[in-house]
Amino acid sequence: MASRVVGFQKVGTRFLAKQAKRFSWNSRHFASQADPPKVPIDRSQLGCKQPPLSEPLPGVPSPNYATVKDDNSETKYTVLPNGLRIASETRFGQFCTVGVVIDSGSRYEVAYPSGVSHFLEKLAFNSTSVYSDREKIMTELENHGGICDCQSSRDTFVYAISADSRGLDAVSKILGEVVLRPQISTAEIDITRQAIQFELETLGMRPEQETLLMDMIHAAAYRDNTLGLPKLCPAPNVPKIDQKLLFTYLKNHYTPSRMVVAGVGVDHDRLVESVQKYFVDQQPIWEGNDELILPGPLLNVDDSVAQWTGGLVQEECEIPQFAGPSGLPELAHVVLGLESCSHQDPDFIAVCVLNMMMGGGGSFSAGGPGKGMYTRLYTNVLNRYHWMYNATAYNHAYLDSGLFCIHASAPPTHVRELVEVITREMVAMAGSVGNSELRRAKTQLQSMLLMNLESRPVVFEDLARQVLATGQRKSPKYFIEAIENISADDIQRVAQRLLRASPAVAARGDVSKIPQLRDVQSGLMDPNGRIPGSRHRMSLR
Amino acid sequence: MDSILFFEKLLCFRGSTNNGYVMAPLRWRSTAANPLIRDVNVPPTCITALNSGLRVATEDTGAPTATVGLWIDAGSRYESEQTNGVAHFLEHMAFKGTSKRSQTDLELEVENMGAHLNAYTSREQTVFYAKCLKQDVPKAVEILSDIITNSTLGSNEIERERSVILREMQEVETNLQEVAFDYLHATAYQGTPLGRTILGPTENIKSISRDDLQDYIKTHYKAPRVVLAGAGGVDHNELVKLAETHFKKLDTIDGPVPDVSPCRYTGSEVRLRDDSIPLAHIAIAVEGCGWTDPDNIPLMVANTLLGAWDRSQGGGANNASGLAAIVAEDNCAHSFQSFNTCYKDTGLWGVYFVSDGMTIENMVWNIQEAWKKMCTSLTERDVIRARNLLKTNMLLQLDGTTPICEDIGRQMLCYNRRIPINELEQRIDSVTAKDIMNVCMKYIYDKCPVVAAVGPVEQLPDYNNIRSGMYWIRL
Repeated sequence: MASRVVGFQKVGTRFLAKQAKRFSWNSRHFASQADPPKVPIDRSQLGCKQPPLSEPLPGVPSPNYATVKDDNSETKYTVLPNGLRIASETRFGQFCTVGVVIDSGSRYEVAYPSGVSHFLEKLAFNSTSVYSDREKIMTELENHGGICDCQSSRDTFVYAISADSRGLDAVSKILGEVVLRPQISTAEIDITRQAIQFELETLGMRPEQETLLMDMIHAAAYRDNTLGLPKLCPAPNVPKIDQKLLFTYLKNHYTPSRMVVAGVGVDHDRLVESVQKYFVDQQPIWEGNDELILPGPLLNVDDSVAQWTGGLVQEECEIPQFAGPSGLPELAHVVLGLESCSHQDPDFIAVCVLNMMMGGGGSFSAGGPGKGMYTRLYTNVLNRYHWMYNATAYNHAYLDSGLFCIHASAPPTHVRELVEVITREMVAMAGSVGNSELRRAKTQLQSMLLMNLESRPVVFEDLARQVLATGQRKSPKYFIEAIENISADDIQRVAQRLLRASPAVAARGDVSKIPQLRDVQSGLMDPNGRIPGSRHRMSLR
Repeated sequence: MDSILFFEKLLCFRGSTNNGYVMAPLRWRSTAANPLIRDVNVPPTCITALNSGLRVATEDTGAPTATVGLWIDAGSRYESEQTNGVAHFLEHMAFKGTSKRSQTDLELEVENMGAHLNAYTSREQTVFYAKCLKQDVPKAVEILSDIITNSTLGSNEIERERSVILREMQEVETNLQEVAFDYLHATAYQGTPLGRTILGPTENIKSISRDDLQDYIKTHYKAPRVVLAGAGGVDHNELVKLAETHFKKLDTIDGPVPDVSPCRYTGSEVRLRDDSIPLAHIAIAVEGCGWTDPDNIPLMVANTLLGAWDRSQGGGANNASGLAAIVAEDNCAHSFQSFNTCYKDTGLWGVYFVSDGMTIENMVWNIQEAWKKMCTSLTERDVIRARNLLKTNMLLQLDGTTPICEDIGRQMLCYNRRIPINELEQRIDSVTAKDIMNVCMKYIYDKCPVVAAVGPVEQLPDYNNIRSGMYWIRL
C-alpha cells in the first residue's frame, strides 16, 4: 500500500550539498535573509531551549487565581434617549462577549429581493469608515485575543465579539463600526457573491439536508409571508443585490429602537459609556448620505404578523450520497410541521417539554446514554422501523408564531410509511403522557438549559434576545421553575392545540411516494392518526 | 494577595495529607515586588494523587453543572497487530451493562438524571466522561467507576456490538478527512503501532473475544495510569473522597511496562486514486515532536501562521495566514487546515486540504513555498499575529465545563500537570521569528514528508518531486 522510502534523506542532502556549491553565488540575491542555512544543515543546535512542557518554566510565578464565589449575575439595563437598549451581566472568567442584536432578518424582506440578509451576514466585519479593510479589524481583535461572528436567523441578526475583558472599548468601537458604518464596497460585494454562490453549490453537493429543508418547511408553513421567506439567497438574486439596496435595507432596519447592545463579563457603566461613544455620538454612514440610498419612497419595515398557511413544498431531486462505501442507501427527506406558539406565549414552555419528550435523532449517532435514547421518536420510531434513518423533533419559536416539526428520512421506497408513522406519533402526542417520560423530559430540558448556559456566548445571546423581545431577561431559575410546573395535562393541551391548524409538509429527494397533503391532514384529524388509503394495520402498537 | 495564595494552598493540601501527595506543590513566594505575578480570573487546578497512584484533578467554578471523567493512558498504540481494535471495542462495551446494572438500567439512570455519558478512544488515550447537574456528581462518579471496573462484557452484547462497530467503520469511511488521516498515519508510521487505525481491521472486529477485552483491561486500566478530572460545580475534596471509595478495584501495581517503544517515522506516500470522488483530499506532513517537547510551542505558533481557510470565508486576501491569501487568490483549493498532531514521542505537523483534481499541483507548491518561507524569512509582525491568535484559540475554547475538563484530563496525561495560564502565555510570548525559523529548519527544511491522497489525485506530483520541494537550491 505504501511505498517505503529508505535513505532518501541522505540522497537529498547530498544532492543539495552539490547544488549549493555550484550555485553559491545565488545567495547574494537574498542578502535580506539573515543567516542562509549551512549546507548540510547541522540540526543538533536547532530547537527550543526551554524546559519540556512537563516542567514549570523557571521564573514564572504562580498567578493569583480567582476563588469560587457565587456568580453575581445581576442583569443591568439602560435605555438611551434614542431608544437603544443596553444590557449586561458580570461573569467569572477572563473573557467577555459583547454584541449587537437587531430585529432584522429574512422575515422583513418581503419588499426586497430575498437574500439581502444572507448578503449582510456574509458582509459583516468588512471595511468601515474607520477600518479601511477587514484585516485592520482582525488585527485590532487579535490584539485583544478576540474573535468575531455574525449570524442571522429569520428574525434576528447577531453581531458578537468575544475578547479579553480589558479590550471592551475597542470591541465596542468595532461593533459600532461594523453595524452602523460599513462601507460595503463593490469589491466586497463581489467576494460575497462568490461566497454565497459557493455556499449554495456546497449545500447542493452535500448529503446533509437540514439547511435546505428548514427553508422549505418555513416556506410551506408561512407561504409567501414573513417567516416563510427564504433565508438562503435564491440563486437568481445573487447577481441582483447591490450596494444601494443593502444600504436602503440597513437605513430602515438598523435603527436604535430595533437594537440591543448586550455584554456578558463586562462592567455596565463602561459598556454604556462606550456605546454612547460609538453608537450615538457617531452617526450611521447612511445618515445624510443620500447617494447611498435607493431613490423613491422608503421601503418601510414590514410589520405584518406571521400568517400560518400550511401547505406542501416538494422538490423531486437527487440527494447526494455520502462519499465512499458508506453502506447508507439513498435517502428521501420529509419534514412535517405544525403551528406551535411564539416564545412569549404561556404555552411556550409546555411546547419545549413536548419537544424534549419527542426527542429523536439519527438511528446511528455518536454519544452514549444521555442523547435522548428514551424519547418517543427513539422508542416508538427509530427502534421499531429499521428503515427509518433519522427522526428528530424541532421547535422554532418566533415573536409572533412558532413551528413545531419532525424531520425524518428513509429510503424512497418507504416515504409513504414514513409519513404514516410520523403522523401517528404526532396524533399520539395528544394522548396519554406517562409520568416517567414527562419527568425525564422535564429534567432533561432543565439540564440542557443549564448546560447550554455554561458557555458565555450562549448567555450573551440569551440575554440579548430576551431583552430585544421583552426588555428584560428572565433568569434561568425562572425557566427551571416554569419547566418544573408543567403537567401531563399541559402537554395534552398544547398537543391538541398543535394539531388544530392545517399541517405544513416539506419533502426533498425521490419523494414520489409521498401521500397527498389532504390525506396527511385527515390523518392528523383521525384519532388513531390513520392516513386514508393506508394498508395499515395498527398491529405494532 | 498572600491570603489568596494561602487559601489556594489550603484548598489543595487539605484532605490529601493522609491520602497521598500533592503532584504540583505550590511554592511560597514573595508576591510583593514581582511584576510577573498577575491575576487570572479562573480558579486554580487542584491535583491530588491517591495512594493507589490514581490522580484527581479539578477546577471548581461553582457552576450549577459539572463534567467529570476518566482519562486513561491507554489507546490503540498499546495494541498488537492481532488485538488492534480492542481499546475501541471496550469503549463500546462500556455502556452495555455492568454486574450492578443492566444496559437498560444504566441508560435510564443517566437519561433520567438529564446527564450525558460519553466515551472516546484515540491512539494514546481512552476517555469516559459524564456531564451532569452539580448535585449528581457523586452518582456520575459511581457510574463511571462501575462501567470501567465491573463491565459485564456479555457475549451477546459483544456479538451485537461487532455489527455496530462495523457500521461505525462505514461511517468513518464516508468521512474522507478521517480516511486521509488514517492513511497518513499508516504510511508515516508503517510497521509500528501508531500506523494502525483506532477501529482496527474488519477481521479483528469480527474476531475480538471476551478474553482479549479482559486482558486489555487487566494490562492497561491501572490506577497510576488513570486521571479523574472534574470541572464546573465540583468540590476537589469531595471528588478525592469519591475516588477513594469507588476506585478501590483498580489495580495499583504497575505490572509489566506497556510497550511504548518509539514509533519509527518514515517519509513516504500513499495515494488512492478514485476519480468518482468529486474532490481530492490530501494531507502532507513532516515528523513533528512529542507532547512535552519544548519545540512544540514554536511548532504550534508556526501551525497557527499557516492557519486554516475555506472558500465560504470569501476574501482570504485579508486572512492572517499568508497561505490563505495565496490560496484564495489562486483559487487552488476549496479548503485547507494546518495541523499539529502530537503523540508521546513523535508527531505529525502539516497541512490537510481539499481541492479540485486539476489544482493539486499548484496547491502543493504553494504549501511548500509557505513552509520554506517559514524556515528562512519570517517577520516579527507575522509572528506576533500568530502568537495572539494561538493564545486566543487556546484560551477562548476553555468555555464550559466539558472543554475545561478535557483540557485538565489531557494535560494531566501528557504533562502530569496542568500548565498554568500565565506560564502558557509566557511560553508563547517568548517565541520570536528567529525561534520559528530555527525550529522549522529542524523539522521541515529538507526533511522527508509523508503524503496521503484520496480522490481524483492524478495531478499530485510524484514523491521525488514533492521531496525536492522541501528545500531551495538558491539558498
